[in-house]
Amino acid sequence: MNSSDVGTARRRRFDELVATFHQDMYRFAAWLSRDRTVAQDVVQESLLRAWKSLDSLRDEAAARHWLLTIVRRENARYFERRRLETVDVDDLTPSQEALLANEPDHELDDMRDAIYRLDDDYREPLVLQVLMGYSTKEIGELMGLKQGAVLTRLHRARSKLKDEMDNEMAFGQSES
Amino acid sequence: MNCEDYREAIGADPSYDGGEAHVSACAGCLAYRSEMRALDQKIGRALAISVPELRMPELPDVDTAAVVSLAERRRFTAPVWMAVAATLVLAAFVGVRMYGSNVTYPSLADEIVAHLDHEPYALRVTDEPVDERRLAKVVPANLAHMNHDAGLITYAQTCVINGRKIPHLVIQGEQGPVTILLLPDEAITDAVPIEGESINGIILPVGGGSVAIIGERNEKLDTIKQNVMNSVTWST
Repeated sequence: MNSSDVGTARRRRFDELVATFHQDMYRFAAWLSRDRTVAQDVVQESLLRAWKSLDSLRDEAAARHWLLTIVRRENARYFERRRLETVDVDDLTPSQEALLANEPDHELDDMRDAIYRLDDDYREPLVLQVLMGYSTKEIGELMGLKQGAVLTRLHRARSKLKDEMDNEMAFGQSES
Repeated sequence: MNCEDYREAIGADPSYDGGEAHVSACAGCLAYRSEMRALDQKIGRALAISVPELRMPELPDVDTAAVVSLAERRRFTAPVWMAVAATLVLAAFVGVRMYGSNVTYPSLADEIVAHLDHEPYALRVTDEPVDERRLAKVVPANLAHMNHDAGLITYAQTCVINGRKIPHLVIQGEQGPVTILLLPDEAITDAVPIEGESINGIILPVGGGSVAIIGERNEKLDTIKQNVMNSVTWST
């Protein structure tokens, strides 16, 4: 195989990975950054980094974990570079708002709003478990946490969401 | 199992299927489980936001001459080729790791941070120590002496930093895994901090070389630094 063939095979391998995992990368980035525009930037940077270090991915079965790890680091770097302030949910840019609203289902909007307001430490493991199907062990590996800490964060995240949704429901009933 | 234990388990993972004996006898926990599972469906729907069309970035050329495909490596299957294949694969492996991405970094710290992305599986939370023979292979006696005073070593791999093969180790810290890179040929005069939103580390001068230590953001590195400094001795 000459170097041109190797280059073509490398690009094909990369394209297949991106086609398979782009959605996961974007959604993970969006919920980490809480901003659709930032998520697109983070995914772009992550794809670039993944392309450069593709040859270090030796096990195809590990591709998603590898890509999400890169997204996680790129997201951290993005915020490090921009030094963005923590955003207040009542003072959002259109790009941040776009993550939350525009659903005809108000309950879904309320849930997104509640997830949005979760602390990063709680939101990230929840996204990995519910959206990515990660086990608590895998979440611990990605986040560098002991499994017990992951379980605690997940339990607290759901408790907070449940309380928020119960409050919304009670508020809705008192309004009507 | 009591109600509190069961609800904690279900709250952490609504698909949890243990504690059947308890839940079958406890109407409150049965209702709680149903509630948590319904909540999880709503969370799943809320998280599944629409995804915009992919915008592929402009990808730079890579030095494919240094990359040997797996298919090409696997072609050498006949016994007569085994010795040749072993040599080629080893050469290709070293070549890719040293030159494959053809990327240069503005500083040693930048290259170290980038390197952490390359081996995410190194950062596993585990209490399983790395095999002694593997550790001896990655940290050979003619390079350095390192004992276990630094902490429980759970990963050991020979990697390339700045074109040189170096031992990449991981120990278990309080907040999670801590990466240790032994850099016997990277002489620095002063400590170089490595700070980030998700990481916290330092490159320390040790003898004629240096040692990089990188942990999670909240990891307290002082004790680890001291232990690593005490446990590493360069042989050269």
